[in-house]
Amino acid sequence: MSYAIPERELLHPGHVACPGCGAAIAMRLALKALGDDLVVIIVASCWSIIAGPFPYSSLQVPTLHSAFETGGSAASGVKAALRKRGRPDTTVMTWAGDGGTFDIGFQALSGAVERNEDFIYVCYDNEAYMNTGIQRSSATPWGAWTTTTPVAAPKDTPKKDMVAIIASHGIPYTATASIGYPEDLVRKLQKAAGIRGSKFIHILSPCPSGWKSEPEETVKIARLAVQSRIFPLYEVERGERYTVTVNPPPVPAIEYLRRQGRFNHLSVAQIEEIQANADRAWEALLKRAAASA
Amino acid sequence: MKSAPSRPPVGEPVVFRRLDDLPPLPVSLAPTLANKTGTWRYLRPFYEEKTSPCNHACPAGSDVVHWIGALRGGDLEGAWRTLTAENPLPGVCGRVCPHPCESRCNRSSSGGAIAIHALERYLADEASMHGWRPTRVRAANGRRVAVVGAGPAGLACAYHLARLGYEVTVHEAEAEPGGLLRYAIPAYRLPRDVLDREVCNIESLGVRFMLGSRLGDNLSLEELRGMDAVFLAPGQGVSRPLGVPGEQAAGVLSGLGFLRRVARGEGLGMGRRVVVVGGGNTAIDAARTAIRMGAQVTVVYRRSAAQMPAIAEEVEAARAEGVEFRFLAAPIEVLVDGDRVRGLRCQSMRLGEPDASGRERPLPVPGAEFDLTADTVIAAVGQGLDEGLLAGTGLRAEAGRVPIDEGAATALPGVFAGGDAATGEGTVAQAIGSGKRAALAIDRWLQTGRVEGLPPLGVAPHAMERSASARVVGPEDLNADYIEQVPRPVLPECPVELRKASFDEVNLGIPPEIAAAEAARCISCGVCIGCDTCYIFCPDVSIARAGPCQYTINYDYCKGCGICVHECPRCAMSVKEEGQ
Amino acid sequence: MRKVLMGNHAVSYAVRLARAEVVAAYPITPQTQIVEMLSEFCAEGSLDATFIKVESEHSAMAACIGAASAGARAFTATSSHGLLLMHEMLHWAAGARLPIVLVNVNRALGPGWNVWTEQTDSLAQRDTGLMQVYCESNQEALDSVLQAFRIAETVRLPVMVVLDAFILSHTEEPVDVPSQEEVDAFLPRYEPEWRLDPADPRAFNMLVPPEHYMELRLLIQKAMDDALHVAAEVDAEYGRRFGRSYGIVEAYRLEDAEIALVTAGASSGTARVVVDELRSQGVPTGLLRLRLFRPFPARAIARLLSRVDKVAVIDRNISFGHGGIFAAELKAALYHEPQRPMVFEFIAGLGGRDITPATVRGIVGYLQGHDQPPASPLWWEVKA
Repeated sequence: MSYAIPERELLHPGHVACPGCGAAIAMRLALKALGDDLVVIIVASCWSIIAGPFPYSSLQVPTLHSAFETGGSAASGVKAALRKRGRPDTTVMTWAGDGGTFDIGFQALSGAVERNEDFIYVCYDNEAYMNTGIQRSSATPWGAWTTTTPVAAPKDTPKKDMVAIIASHGIPYTATASIGYPEDLVRKLQKAAGIRGSKFIHILSPCPSGWKSEPEETVKIARLAVQSRIFPLYEVERGERYTVTVNPPPVPAIEYLRRQGRFNHLSVAQIEEIQANADRAWEALLKRAAASA
Repeated sequence: MKSAPSRPPVGEPVVFRRLDDLPPLPVSLAPTLANKTGTWRYLRPFYEEKTSPCNHACPAGSDVVHWIGALRGGDLEGAWRTLTAENPLPGVCGRVCPHPCESRCNRSSSGGAIAIHALERYLADEASMHGWRPTRVRAANGRRVAVVGAGPAGLACAYHLARLGYEVTVHEAEAEPGGLLRYAIPAYRLPRDVLDREVCNIESLGVRFMLGSRLGDNLSLEELRGMDAVFLAPGQGVSRPLGVPGEQAAGVLSGLGFLRRVARGEGLGMGRRVVVVGGGNTAIDAARTAIRMGAQVTVVYRRSAAQMPAIAEEVEAARAEGVEFRFLAAPIEVLVDGDRVRGLRCQSMRLGEPDASGRERPLPVPGAEFDLTADTVIAAVGQGLDEGLLAGTGLRAEAGRVPIDEGAATALPGVFAGGDAATGEGTVAQAIGSGKRAALAIDRWLQTGRVEGLPPLGVAPHAMERSASARVVGPEDLNADYIEQVPRPVLPECPVELRKASFDEVNLGIPPEIAAAEAARCISCGVCIGCDTCYIFCPDVSIARAGPCQYTINYDYCKGCGICVHECPRCAMSVKEEGQ
Repeated sequence: MRKVLMGNHAVSYAVRLARAEVVAAYPITPQTQIVEMLSEFCAEGSLDATFIKVESEHSAMAACIGAASAGARAFTATSSHGLLLMHEMLHWAAGARLPIVLVNVNRALGPGWNVWTEQTDSLAQRDTGLMQVYCESNQEALDSVLQAFRIAETVRLPVMVVLDAFILSHTEEPVDVPSQEEVDAFLPRYEPEWRLDPADPRAFNMLVPPEHYMELRLLIQKAMDDALHVAAEVDAEYGRRFGRSYGIVEAYRLEDAEIALVTAGASSGTARVVVDELRSQGVPTGLLRLRLFRPFPARAIARLLSRVDKVAVIDRNISFGHGGIFAAELKAALYHEPQRPMVFEFIAGLGGRDITPATVRGIVGYLQGHDQPPASPLWWEVKA
């Protein structure tokens, strides 16, 4: 195997993700990373549907579907019970979309990580409320079209910096990941599983349906997000130590943006602004990494 | 407590007939395998091997991508056998071929082309060390074929016919086999023992050599036609003259003549100041040979450096060894002292409009003449077929060549031809391809009475069937995200100072680590190497490993997203509309 | 052992005896003492439970759902707005068929802010699928919590035990606290058939399409049907073991009553006193105390009230645009009876306004003076 990724498959085919779904790749990789001593909590998001309808499931690990806001709270209960019932080392992973993380689930997430609950919270981020039809979330990037930020009035606020917010809770481990770099993603999940306390992983999951991109380019786009510095890959330990984990040769942001119909309306000046913002944030990240090394 | 409902067989849908069949809460009873999402698909990905550019470019029809693949996997003997299934002379080609494969190599922009010639030579050297010998593909069939000419075309033809079970006799005019390989290409490029080894391999298949057997002399085409088939590959043994006054003087030699005498170890009467006229490989071979024999050498060429047909590395090596070059200079008279050469008068030239070959035509600069002092002039200005060989055979040359069709057939039934004599001046690899073509044609003709399935002239034939599609993989077909810049290694050479002192081989070959690293650097264009990229990225868990470098797609679930095809680093997959 | 305990603390003792394993709760007046005492029990180790100090009531129920799904006995407590915030997850807990026990301290709803007793908060959850039990005393609160775990784990439904704000929650009464051994014999360890288990991986609470959803809902309804007799059986068993049982509905001096009062919660105690007083004056009055509200014991109620002349339902709650909730359900239960009483509906005691013996006497007096109830419920003791 030329990828340092565990062999064991814990996801069945027959799930109902769109062709080329980035979130399906993310889940498949996450399950491979974590193995079968695992309980997954899925809150309302595309994966509530993707997993399959009653009486079927595509996951080969115990799965608790829960209400939209409860990613942090349901997991807290599950972990407490598993400890009580003789499974203190079983990994508990919340699998939530950007809606359930950045917006409606923010409170329960913040509450859970403030308590340093022992679980991995994974946000698979397709940058809008995709399951309900591509409406904007606070994870939607500046300038993007969504059904509630139409072309005449695209998203005019920047993407919320969730990693910074969660890292500022001082939890043991926070990281970004991209399906375009599967080994980095797997390594981070495995690292998280070996740490006691709260861990937050933010995975960029391109969505061809919502981003208006070609299904075959999903992985390419996930890679371009990192190469263009728009979605850098790094980890934060104990809220203070920053490490950039993947640093590929840079690619202009336009390469990332032009493959997605949700950015088609951008003017040259807007693209330049996106580029400038990404460059600035990247420089700031590098400085932070250097300062905390 | 009610027991859990029994699970249905995996992949079967769950059916509830009565209320009691349901669990009390929404809980899964079966995996999603009953949901065959393959029905969503309108584009169908599949594995399709394609032609790598190196394979496409090789005139000998070598299956480069696969023998490099075997080398990458550590199977050196397997690699050598894949290589020699098409080309019996890897030790030769690895040393003297201008390697068009490397010119087309898609790695050129990511660190430099794979040093294919060095790998080829490495495998030949390994074969020699381990004593690997070629084997027959078919049992002996008792049919007999005569080959005229033991140059690369004749050797290749004999080799392939012998593998196919034929009894082959090779008639060679010289005292030893090899043709230009022995009598033109100098030993510092192609050591004699390497050539002998590879001829020995061919002999080990049962091929007989009749040396000193010259067509039109002690051998007639008439008697050869008593065999089941004949292959003529006499080469281009006649050198073109300079066409200037004084060239009959003593000390004026043809390039081929000069090299032949050196190869035979005959006396030369070569002086200390040598002028070589010409810009091809023969001229450079002559120049570098003369340098090693202690002469001061100047090469005179009527066109520019950029237009020289000689292999660029050879020209570079000549320069490094001290050969001087005078470009845009054409000979107009051999200056004599009595009946010996004393110099060469040259005309300065300039470049004008392009001629038929597409190169700018050299034009004389009026009044600009100069003299070069020389006691030896070597004229290497081109070769041609010795048309006298065809006298009384019923065959006639056209434009200096024996005409053949794509089945290598001449006008005479059962008489085939190839090599430089039929194709015009070409490389060793082209001659090998030509000899192979004739062998395949003869085999088909003798087995079925028809010659079918051979590619047009100019396209290399294959002895072994290929599963690759005809589509050639270009750099735009690869996924650049997976191709890192890894530089081509520097290939070891004998230091310049030591070279001039001997005819020892200049290129030193590569050690096993470099061979392994270089094989690993090969992208394997169009051919799966089992990198797992398709497998890892399938969102629908629909790609499974089926064996080394083999995957299957589960079309029951594949939704046709195309990520596998798009991510494949080396274009080993394709996509088509469902239902086609 | 007998102790003097406020209602909230009686609940804490019951939860400890029940060996709850996961407690997740958010404080709200007047529930706070429940969770404060449970925190102390956990901290000192007398209760071997994880107390998750969640950041909202919605999260409290979600955490209980997570815990119960993974096979632990889970408990939470709340009141009023906290219960409302939990509403989504109450539906979820019932649909997930989890035996979570929830204690709700009945408190009025804002705006305006009002921390005193009223039943609208719990009754507004009547459609959620939770069972509901209304307590008259601190003893009954303790006993009902213990019974609740047992009933819940038998029928696979969450149970809400309700007590009045301040009147029960903060008033100290003598309470008999059973021994741990007695409770262990009554309430075995929770061992669910279905739970999150890596050894038998399944998914729970996923998408259910129309072809199956109705059957799963029917199964909840059937569980509620079962719960009627399970609750009665458990209460009877409790009586045999601990010497106290309450029935799913209490009939007090109803056998020959011509006038019946219908109450739930602490006001039942007041009504009981007035019934005795009136009886001594020769007025044939009785009391029907509603204890189990979900499932609604319609047949038992119909049987008990059908021969009564007049019924006064005292609703300490309001469903705007309709009337008192107990009255509405009770009238529906009586609809098919060939003999039906006149039902007079009274809205009283909202927002903690006292229901005194005088209040109850006044209500009985109204019945005595009227043959027919008015068209709308009577809002009792309010400014006109």
